[in-house]
Amino acid sequence: MAETRERPLPDHVTTPLLTLITQQALEEDYRSVAQRRSLRPGAEPPRTRMLAVAALLVLGLLVGVAAVQNSRNAAIQDAGRATLVAQIEQSREELSDTQAAIADTTRENRGLTDRLTGLTTTREATTSRLRRLQVATGYLPVTGPGVRIVVEDKPDAGERELVQDADLAKLVDGLWEAGAEAIAINDQRLNPLGAIRNVGTAVHVNTVPLSPPYTVRAVGDTRTLQADLAATTHGAEFFALAQQIGWGVDVDNVGELSLPAARQRRLQHVETGTAEQRSGGGVEEGQP
Amino acid sequence: MIAALGLLIGIVLGLIFQPDVPLGLEPYLPIAVVAALDAVFGGLRAYLDGIFDDKVFVVSFLSNVVIAAAIVYLGDQLGVGGQLSTGVIVVLGIRIFSNVAAIRRHLFHA
Repeated sequence: MAETRERPLPDHVTTPLLTLITQQALEEDYRSVAQRRSLRPGAEPPRTRMLAVAALLVLGLLVGVAAVQNSRNAAIQDAGRATLVAQIEQSREELSDTQAAIADTTRENRGLTDRLTGLTTTREATTSRLRRLQVATGYLPVTGPGVRIVVEDKPDAGERELVQDADLAKLVDGLWEAGAEAIAINDQRLNPLGAIRNVGTAVHVNTVPLSPPYTVRAVGDTRTLQADLAATTHGAEFFALAQQIGWGVDVDNVGELSLPAARQRRLQHVETGTAEQRSGGGVEEGQP
Repeated sequence: MIAALGLLIGIVLGLIFQPDVPLGLEPYLPIAVVAALDAVFGGLRAYLDGIFDDKVFVVSFLSNVVIAAAIVYLGDQLGVGGQLSTGVIVVLGIRIFSNVAAIRRHLFHA
């Protein structure tokens, strides 16, 4: 300790801080003043304590003001807290509303997705149906494997022995029946509105006169088309007739046939759309 | 007796008039109160020791209040107001406790 040294350090240096605070809790001045007073006994008259009372009054004032201030602040803080709580609750409600909206939207979205899937499927089906119809009606030029049948009149044939519309129609009907997807005769594509007709001795297809030999080209399955054609009633009749009269009939499988589109005829009486759509539009049905 | 009366009157005045403390001084009020309490307990202990002197009391009262507030103000300016006010409260609290302990020994001889 400091006492063992040659020059001991003063107490206020060596004393730990907390101990110092505790020791000097009472103001040193009280002691020193009292000491001075005791050195001169009776020198000073007992003083009035108005100063001390004034100081206490100030303390009371301080305490009172602090208390008032604190309670005011507490009120403000409470109000702030209440406001915050209200805001939190409101935000929670908004959050739950939003979450409900999200759930609704998600459900709606799922429904719409399902509908979209359904519509896509329908569209694909319709598109493929449209494609089939376009091929079957000769709206589109087509390419594909198929069978080429060349029918030639017998040399020095009489008028009754020429190839006629009904014979070619039989052959075409047999081909349709055997599964042909598109048929053309001498580059005249067959379609539902076209016809195979005799005018005099010449065969007209789609009102275009053809001259023999007649080349019938049918797009279809090359593995089965010929056999199926021979098996159909119309095909069998045609081949029997050809053999009987002596027409030259040449049947070949062809890897790739290119069939032109049919000549487009202007539709005169047909309007697009279903009856409901038209009644909604208020369009009068056209009279010829 | 007169001293207790003064304290009471001060409290009542403060509660009645509710003077508005300037916003800038508001944080220093509690520290000032604690410092004043320290001076008051010191004075009470001195009174019981029989060495009370009102001049010393008033000077210690005022200097305690002003210094405590000044330290906290300085701390606020430096950004460590909270820590410094904690330090002031700790020191003043220790002093108050030891003074009150001395007063207790005087009053109850225990």
